[in-house]
Amino acid sequence: MGPLAPNELISENTNFLFAFLIGVAFGFVLESSGFSSSRKLAGIFYGYDAVVLKVFFTGAITCMLGLLFMGLFGWIDLDMIYVNPTYLTSAIIGGVVMGAGFIMGGFCPGTSFCGAAIGKIDAMVFVGGLFLGVYGFAFTYGWWEKLYLANYLGEPKISQSLGLSDGFFGLILILIALAMFAVAEWAEKKFPREAY
Amino acid sequence: MSTSKEIRSTKYLNPYVGGVLLGLVLLSANFIAGRGLGASGAVKSVVATSIRAVNKEAVGTMPFMAEYAESHSGNPMKSWLVFEMLGVLVGGFISGALAGRLKLKVEHSPKITSRRRLIFALAGGILFGFGSQLGRGCTSGSALSGMAVLSLGGFITMMAIFGTAFALAFFFRKNWI
Amino acid sequence: MKPLRLLGLFIIPMGLIIAAVPQNKTNPFKLTAEELLAESNTRNQFVTADVVADMIIKKDPALRLIDVRSQEEFEKFSLPGAINIPAANLLSAEYSDILNQDIKMNVFYSNGTLASNEAWMITRQLGFENNYVLEGGLNYWFDAILNPQKPASTNPDEEFAKYDFRKSAGQALGGGGLTAQPASDNAAPSAKPAVKPVAKKKKAAGGC
Repeated sequence: MGPLAPNELISENTNFLFAFLIGVAFGFVLESSGFSSSRKLAGIFYGYDAVVLKVFFTGAITCMLGLLFMGLFGWIDLDMIYVNPTYLTSAIIGGVVMGAGFIMGGFCPGTSFCGAAIGKIDAMVFVGGLFLGVYGFAFTYGWWEKLYLANYLGEPKISQSLGLSDGFFGLILILIALAMFAVAEWAEKKFPREAY
Repeated sequence: MSTSKEIRSTKYLNPYVGGVLLGLVLLSANFIAGRGLGASGAVKSVVATSIRAVNKEAVGTMPFMAEYAESHSGNPMKSWLVFEMLGVLVGGFISGALAGRLKLKVEHSPKITSRRRLIFALAGGILFGFGSQLGRGCTSGSALSGMAVLSLGGFITMMAIFGTAFALAFFFRKNWI
Repeated sequence: MKPLRLLGLFIIPMGLIIAAVPQNKTNPFKLTAEELLAESNTRNQFVTADVVADMIIKKDPALRLIDVRSQEEFEKFSLPGAINIPAANLLSAEYSDILNQDIKMNVFYSNGTLASNEAWMITRQLGFENNYVLEGGLNYWFDAILNPQKPASTNPDEEFAKYDFRKSAGQALGGGGLTAQPASDNAAPSAKPAVKPVAKKKKAAGGC
């Protein structure tokens, strides 16, 4: 019965080994999908390349369906899966700051590591920036502490807050994502940029 | 500046296939470790380690690092995310090598200089590093993994990231198109 | 076929299935019917009145008496230190921390053993540990502890020791001014069950 590590079916060191292997697979898939290129990543915001949208939502939906079906078959105890906590204020403000960083830098942390791995200097510089940003936050933490801890809502699920079942919300998400994909494909045809 | 000879058409996976594969990787992470993927947390670990190396007490006294030190007693580098990100470097490298995409270069739009691209890359990195700590996650940890487990916080952060990026896209369009 | 159409063809049915099927909340700690029957047949969930009386007198902090009768009956008479969880409200969320834990020894009691044993079965089925049933309930308690019968002179010594213990316990618990003597070695109340530690559900730490 999963998940394996929290149920102590595998040791902590085995868990770390799997972390590495999962990371290898993660990095491989990201790079193969083109996430090591900042121009491809920024493409969704200008219409010419919707790879971010497609990979992101397909990935989230695949995993979500996988978890729900596994829960259905009793292969996994869904109560033990980590659900990100919701701190309303910092979630929004942090997201806004990250959004600005995304459109400026053209990377996010995971993809920047991928880009750095294949030799993209702009990715390496982005990683350097990441460290500076984290240091900056750590040393100025006192200024942001109240903001950081404000509005803690626990670990609600979206389906819970909308009063829907997980499965039903999943279906809605699937339909919305497919609609977005259709629009994205239209946009890709409408706003092409030369590949390089 | 760019010539058609420099433009190498390179083969990427079909995005939907890539998405399904990514979802399976995320699923295995959830099944094995009970948690999703992440990236910025690894950066935080390295930062914590470096602070500890310089001044052992500082980690305990800095409030942000203190709560981190408690949950990672011992070596802050011995964290799930650090191992995962090392794997990401290896995996990305292997994929790039197999596809012939290994090249030391600054990737930028032909309409701007390398220097300008690097300045924005640095600025973007700083903002993203800062924002990821405030938002308790980045696109991998909060948005992607959060969405997969239907976390409300993850969803909100994701909307904020993409919404802001869309809103600001107009102002930075010269860098990309 | 276009990749998007193929994708849609595949995930929409999956979404429909997952939306239609009710969620399965599996709890790895729950017992099956066979397991519960086997445990119930061992009668190990019962603790004797002597043991409980001894714990009350010794002021054993591990003991927590739970009265599963209605509130009125609880207010008319209850054992010292008992709390009231009427059987109808047994599964309400406010009591889950009391019933599902590994610090105290919960002992259900009612007038007889019917209601208290039911409470035990229900909580045990959910995988909760450290819950017990007072053997004989209050009816036996009144007879044995509060009004102990003097054993016939031909009975073995243990019976006399038990009687002495119960008499003093009854007086102490019934409010008579005597300080009770804890059970002497001769009476040897049956071994007190040990509090079993509960495997807590640990969530993995996560986030970025």
